[in-house]
Amino acid sequence: MRLPAGVRDWLPHELARKREIEQQMRAVFGRWAYEEVQTPIIERFDVMERGLGEEATELLFQFNDRRSTALAMRPEMTTPIARMVSTRMREAPVPLRLAYIAPVFRYYEQPQEGRMRELTQAGAELIGAAGIDADAETLFMAIEALDEIGLRDARFDVNDARIVDGILSGAGLEPDQAREAKELMKVRNLVGLRKFDRPALVEFAQRRGRHEAIDSARGICRTPESRAALDALDILLRRADALGYGPRVTVDFALLRDLDYYTGFLFEGYVEEIGFSLCGGGRYDSLLPRFGYNVPAVGWTAGVERLLIALERRGKHVRRRRHRVDVLVAGSDVVAARERAAGNVVRFAGADLGDEALVEEARAHDIPRVVIALDGTVRELRVGPRVDELPIPRTPSNWDAR
Amino acid sequence: MTDKALTIALPKGALYRDAAARLRAAGIDVPEHVGRKLTVRTADGTTLLFLRPSDVPAYVEFGSADCGIVGKDTLWETDRNVAELADLGFGYCRLVLAGRRIDRYHEGAPLPTFLRVATKFTRSAETFFAERDLPVELIPLHGSVELSPLVGLADLIVDLVATGTTLREHDLVVVEEIAESTARFVVNPVRFRAKYDALTALLERLTAVPA
Repeated sequence: MRLPAGVRDWLPHELARKREIEQQMRAVFGRWAYEEVQTPIIERFDVMERGLGEEATELLFQFNDRRSTALAMRPEMTTPIARMVSTRMREAPVPLRLAYIAPVFRYYEQPQEGRMRELTQAGAELIGAAGIDADAETLFMAIEALDEIGLRDARFDVNDARIVDGILSGAGLEPDQAREAKELMKVRNLVGLRKFDRPALVEFAQRRGRHEAIDSARGICRTPESRAALDALDILLRRADALGYGPRVTVDFALLRDLDYYTGFLFEGYVEEIGFSLCGGGRYDSLLPRFGYNVPAVGWTAGVERLLIALERRGKHVRRRRHRVDVLVAGSDVVAARERAAGNVVRFAGADLGDEALVEEARAHDIPRVVIALDGTVRELRVGPRVDELPIPRTPSNWDAR
Repeated sequence: MTDKALTIALPKGALYRDAAARLRAAGIDVPEHVGRKLTVRTADGTTLLFLRPSDVPAYVEFGSADCGIVGKDTLWETDRNVAELADLGFGYCRLVLAGRRIDRYHEGAPLPTFLRVATKFTRSAETFFAERDLPVELIPLHGSVELSPLVGLADLIVDLVATGTTLREHDLVVVEEIAESTARFVVNPVRFRAKYDALTALLERLTAVPA
């Protein structure tokens, strides 16, 4: 009786914590006027391949239906939403603001913490909006969301895919070399980058900073696209300053995201003590055109489990809140229904229990009232003060919940 | 973990002497001998972890260490998500495909149809053969791999060679060189940002050309 690798169950107290985070994320999406959508967990394989590029299909759980149509489980939500918008929402006035909180599936050879085969993503897509206002909206929404869940010291690194291209061409790399260098840049492999014998590559792959870093890149970035991107990033930093986010936002010229559809602005959010990023996003103007709908778009997403890990490591949420029950009712469907209609949470007890057993059950579950309806009489018992929070017992059954 | 003092993962064994010497040259007070200690805190607040070489990447990937020193061969085998910032040059060795001299595979003798290869470096060996579409039966071993072709367990071995002495002693020869390895300075990708000043300063001191 074992689960496959890389997936997990959520017990009631664990799921309650996860739902709490999801509610907070949902509230932030709502405040920014994003509407939640849902797409199927399975897609046609060719749709995922078109969105993600051939290389990323290695990440897919794939299978055939009985007519041999190749199907895949979605490894992320941006491609399914791009498909949905290009097929069913073309008439809707842009910009569209869409959000999701949804499970996605990735085939990792060796699943591990922060790299599970089933994970939950909470994210937002701003479709049909070009330019810095839209880029800034995604970044600031992400900062607000992490603030909302209690990670107020989370930091955010920003970059632009066009700046990376500007640096690579400014360093004089041929397109083939540039592709290779970009892969090395993505994992900050300075050893590999040194082999190109272009000191600027290594220098920018480890350069982080704010306005001064942007100024330093103006020397090497000579393409109009990369220069425009540097200007935009500079403005973005100023806007972050005005919101008081300044010290938390840094330019990192080696920041590139895994998926190949990003075309411009990029960011990642992280906290110091967790070794992987918690959220990230960027501009993907080339994605919707792959589905025949010529609109730009930008979006971001957070890994809900990663957020939970970060919070748990800080000792937040280590206590569980028990499901609140207001009243224990014995003996009458009618009384129980009346209590529920009054808005109370009702737990139903067997009619064969004596008063003592009922009080004991109420105590065990912190239920303040017991209503006993037997033989035409209704009696109510009060049970002592209730405790809202209980420590989680360290039993083998929840060790792996860590 | 808010202070900017670093935690450094160090490999015990063959790489330790050179790694310790390089860190000392960079101004970190690393002990000459580890003994049975697992961890040490130096006078300047740096925490040193003394690990099995193959465990270094995991400590760095999960951020239990900010950075570490580890052989490239170990990085191939563990495939952990760490940023490789510098080739430190020491600990040179080669990963090779080797066989018995009398089998003449190194002179182009045809390989057996049902090829058996013994190795401690399963991942690297798998990649090497997969890239050549060669069907092989890999036999993962944990020590003395050079014995396996002598007693007929394997036709070839994939193993690390530093000086070549072990191969010569058993009358084995290199059939093909797979890759070269040296010690690398690796960092956790997120910690590189969070402790940027401390880590880039250390990188600079580690890679400074010795006077």
